[in-house]
Amino acid sequence: MSTKVAEVEGARLTLTNLDKDLYPSYGFTKAHILEYYRRISPFCLPHLKDRALTLKRYPDGVGKEFFYEKRCPSHRPSWVKTAKIPRDNGERMTVCLVNDLNTLIWVENLASLELHVPLARAHSPETPDSMVFDLDPGDGADILDCGRVALIIKALLKELRLACCLKTSGQKGLHVLVPLNSREVTFEDTKKFSRSVAEVLQRSYPDLVTARMGKEEREKRVFINWSQNDPSKTMVCVYSLRAREKPVVSFPVAWEELENALDEGNPRRLQFLHSEALSRAEKQGDLFREVLVKNQKLPYL
Amino acid sequence: MKKPSSLHSPRLSSKRRAEAHFHEMWSGTVSFSLVAIPVRLVKAVEPGRVSFHMLHAKDYSPLHRRMLCPKENKIVPPDEIVRGYELYPGKYLLITDEELESVSPERSRTVEIIEFIDMEEVDPVYFDHPYYLAPLKGGEKAYRLLAEAMHRTNKAGLARFVMGEREYLVAVKSTEGVLSLITLHYSGEVLSGEDVSPEQGKTEREEQDRLKGIIQGMIADFDPDKYADERRENLLEILREKAKHMAPVESPEVGEEEEESTVDLIAVLEKSMRKVKKTGEHKSRRG
Repeated sequence: MSTKVAEVEGARLTLTNLDKDLYPSYGFTKAHILEYYRRISPFCLPHLKDRALTLKRYPDGVGKEFFYEKRCPSHRPSWVKTAKIPRDNGERMTVCLVNDLNTLIWVENLASLELHVPLARAHSPETPDSMVFDLDPGDGADILDCGRVALIIKALLKELRLACCLKTSGQKGLHVLVPLNSREVTFEDTKKFSRSVAEVLQRSYPDLVTARMGKEEREKRVFINWSQNDPSKTMVCVYSLRAREKPVVSFPVAWEELENALDEGNPRRLQFLHSEALSRAEKQGDLFREVLVKNQKLPYL
Repeated sequence: MKKPSSLHSPRLSSKRRAEAHFHEMWSGTVSFSLVAIPVRLVKAVEPGRVSFHMLHAKDYSPLHRRMLCPKENKIVPPDEIVRGYELYPGKYLLITDEELESVSPERSRTVEIIEFIDMEEVDPVYFDHPYYLAPLKGGEKAYRLLAEAMHRTNKAGLARFVMGEREYLVAVKSTEGVLSLITLHYSGEVLSGEDVSPEQGKTEREEQDRLKGIIQGMIADFDPDKYADERRENLLEILREKAKHMAPVESPEVGEEEEESTVDLIAVLEKSMRKVKKTGEHKSRRG
């Protein structure tokens, strides 16, 4: 097996199994994955910073067994930053914070193909920085239906003078994020607000939208999963790879792009492979920056 | 016309600037055969009603309309309101938003001309509301062609089109190079004139000729500028006079925070949702 000692930003790292193909039906090795994350890191790291990482590890590649690891592995290098966060049982758990490139590379060397983080930072776990509408198509609905719902949400939020950003989940759905970046907001607020929006949409577009999780209700509809606005939930981080057949990325989408995809009726325009993600991010910068910096207040709460 | 003094609110001016009201109601294409012309629909008239706000006499607070339940003497929130169709007095059939939605026509982006008709055949009783069609970028040439051709043949296009929740029967006609669109009443909406027509009977030839003569003597060209809504003008004149001599009363500041917290989030979202649906900015239609 290929092993290499690398020096990343002054830290020494032993990288293992570099030629192991973790996306076998596509052909994408550990080395490719590390290279993807190295190049995407300038865009990805600000979104991971200070958030409790949940590792989703695929030691034998996609399609094989995987496991979640919320606790930061005890064999971690000394330079990996951590935080202690309270658990429901009152215990405190040590979690990894991916605040720099070497930690990101170390995490990827553990084959954590997907990076999942909460909507709040570790030092203020009850204060979400953003509110999310997780749009998940039921059977018989697709990502374009999610796009239609995203546009309605955007128009509705615009009436309330709230801006929002869109990314693909990298699976079948879309995520609409509303930047908040205010200390006063709580998950209780974001949950109440997103739930109200979901229910109003369901009433207005009963054939397209459901606010309920039941499988039947979701059929041919888009489920607006408002319950993601919760301190115990994590979301796939923007720019993270997904463990699907091909190395697709959870990637930001400009609203115009979404409209074009809908006009064309082309769901492929809402799928971003690693290579496209890199070339576009390097050309256009971080389309998701607003999520980190824009300060907005939820009205009428 | 008197020039309003600079103190005056532009609202007190008698003249209404057309551009200010060129608010886009809809955009799409006018099409027939192989022609498709991108256009936007704008209002052609702005009723000259002078409207007033209802204020609380005590402190001039603007008053709101709310839904009151007379039985409980309570304001009813939107999520407790349903629609009922009155079958007999006091007996209703309930109808849901979903059911209403199910009969709404599919949104459409075209005014599809089905046939060309002679506008003179359409009795004005069918006319509902006039709009102008303005060409959108790239459609100017086809627009001019159609407008000229319709003007020369003196024909109007009959079309159906969907705006908001309704499908309309419309006539598209050309007036001096501009296409206008007039929504028409469906024949089912037009009440029969039979009941008001006088009983059958002969009229004397002489009488007929006499009346004809009188009519001939009064014939003029139609010049709408000769007429104005006098009540409106007089009312505006009163207001202009008042504005000169009186300071307007002021409504008290309503603490925004306070008002916001009393407003129900769902109600605000519902209201915004209706607005969003109306403007139809988004493409909610499935492909």
